[in-house]
This record gives sequence, structure tokens and C-alpha cells, in this order.
Amino acid sequence: MEQLTNLVISDRDLATISSILMRLMNDTTATSIMLIDKSGQVVAIQGNSTRRNATTLGALLAGVFSSSREVAKLLDEKDFRNIFQQGVQQNIYTSMVEEQWLLVSIFDRSTHIGLVKVLSKKASDELGRILERVRNDTTRAKSSVLNLQFRSSVEDTIDLLFRD
Amino acid sequence: MALINIASHEIHCKIVYYGIGYCGKTTNLQYVHKSITPNARGDMLSIATETERTLFFDFLPLDLGRVHGFHTRFHLYTVPGQILYERTRLAVLNGADGIVFVVDSQADKFEENMQSIAELDMHMRHIGKNMSRFPLIMQWNKRDMPNILPVPVLEHYLNRRRVPSFEAVASAGKGVFATLRAISKTVIAQL
Repeated sequence: MEQLTNLVISDRDLATISSILMRLMNDTTATSIMLIDKSGQVVAIQGNSTRRNATTLGALLAGVFSSSREVAKLLDEKDFRNIFQQGVQQNIYTSMVEEQWLLVSIFDRSTHIGLVKVLSKKASDELGRILERVRNDTTRAKSSVLNLQFRSSVEDTIDLLFRD
Repeated sequence: MALINIASHEIHCKIVYYGIGYCGKTTNLQYVHKSITPNARGDMLSIATETERTLFFDFLPLDLGRVHGFHTRFHLYTVPGQILYERTRLAVLNGADGIVFVVDSQADKFEENMQSIAELDMHMRHIGKNMSRFPLIMQWNKRDMPNILPVPVLEHYLNRRRVPSFEAVASAGKGVFATLRAISKTVIAQL
């Protein structure tokens, strides 16, 4: 199946996504929750500790996940759907949402991994339903943003910025 | 796969620099990072070996600022060029919106370049992308070296799709921004 060329997140979808992330953060007492696209783009984030480095974290965490999927293939394993990174102070639990997004929980020693696993799974199921809606709405929502005027302004900005 | 976030007014696109080892992919990004206006760039991240070969990827986020109310961002990645990192290249290609294929123009690198572009074709098919329509720009790099192949030869064998191509000397910055402008515009046009 050909991959989608783009994904459009509307106000309504982002509000729902944010509330799911917020609930997961509160219920697990995680320090931060991120939803990233598997290409590394950050869709939504809750928690202030990671906000400053969100872009780089998104690229790296998606890279780690992609890399682990390749490891799975080499081991004839169908997939590694979750990754747990354990540190001295901070831990990261990443799980896949419908082959498209990654739900990332960053938490410290006061949070139990079991709780994060169970509630991440629940949140992933809810996010999966939203993703389905996002996919269906993408074409319609896209045309409202990417009009001719927008494209031409972006081209002008590219000419202005991308030069010696 | 570009992400258009209407709520936070952001558009994110991923551009991957692909090519053989030592062809100049990281050099392209380093030059962009060094030369672009500071408020348009984020920190450049490199996951490299001790000998400075790219191990996983380099990453440079660029921000066009607000255009028609939308923050438009390009995330530039490189893949590791060494042959044994094929699976890593596939991992980095995931979700790419556009590719710059950087060619080392030296005659003794021709065979490797041919293998690399065949590998890219195979990977793109594998991840379900149609290469005949996918945003792609060719860069003929290292044009300052003594043993380079003529551009028409490179065009004939490596640019079968006849996509736009640029001569470059990335170490001196020549052709770097022309390439970046071309791929960025192609990506935006295909969103």
C-alpha cells in the first residue's frame, strides 16, 4: 500500500489528542507524553520538561523505533511494538499506534512501568480511532490550507532564506 | 509524510540526503547550518562514529517562519553512506517527503553510485512509494576533483527520470543552496 503523502490534524483532532495525552500523563504521573509521527515529526506534546528539545527528541525516538523494526526483521520477529529505555532517573516507554504514530511516555522512578504499559495501551486504542478520522479528513482539510497563495508565499520564503 | 497541524499552525516536511559513503551528504547539511540565517535553523545533530562517519543519521531542522499564518518547517536528514548500513538507510527513509541524491562525480565511484541509486529504488518500492512521482533532486557533487565524469554521462546513467540536477562542490558551498531550494519547492508543490 502506498504511504499517505501527508496527514492533516484539525483543531478538533488536536484537542482530543491533547486531552488523551494529558489524562495519560496525570494518571501515570509521567513527566511528559509525546505523540510523534513515525517519520519523526511531533504531533502533540504534554509536559514542559521536554518541550524545548521536542523536535530533536522526535527525530531521535522515531529513529530508534525504525531501527528496532529493522532489528526485528533480521531476527525474523514480526515486530517490536514497544520499546522501554531505562535510565537512572528517567525512563522512556514508546509504543506504536496503528503503524503510523508513536506514543512516548517519559517518566521517573516514582512511576511504575506496569501502569505506563497498561494505560499506554488504552490511550493507543483511543488514538488509533482518532487517526482513522484524521486519515479520512485529510484530503478535505488539506485544500483549505494549501492553496495557491500559500504555495507561492512559501516559494518566495524559500528563495529568501535558502541562499548564501 | 508531511504533517500539517492546523491547530498549532505548523507544517513539517522531511527531506533525506541519500548517497554513497563520503559523497558529501553531511557536508551539505553542515554548510546549510553554517550559512543560513541563525533564526531559521535549529541545532544540528549528528550520530557519528569516532572517525566522524555517519552512524545513524544527521538531522538539521529548518524553520521558514510564519507564512500565511503557518510555521513551515523542513527537517533535513542524511543517511549513513557505508554499504553495510543498508537497513539503517531504510529506517531513515521512513516518512520522507523528498530525497536529494548526492553523487560523488569521480569516475572511480561510478559503480558505487549506480548500486546506491538501485538500492534507493528498491527501498522506495519497499516502503510503498512510487519513485516516478516522488520528489527527487540529483546533485553532482565534487565537481572540483580532477577525475570526474562529464555531467551528460552522469545524467544519462544516474538520472533516468530526468529530474532537476545541480553541480556542486559542497565543501565550498557551491550548489548546496540551489539543491535545497529545488527539493524544498518540489516537496511543497507535491503536498
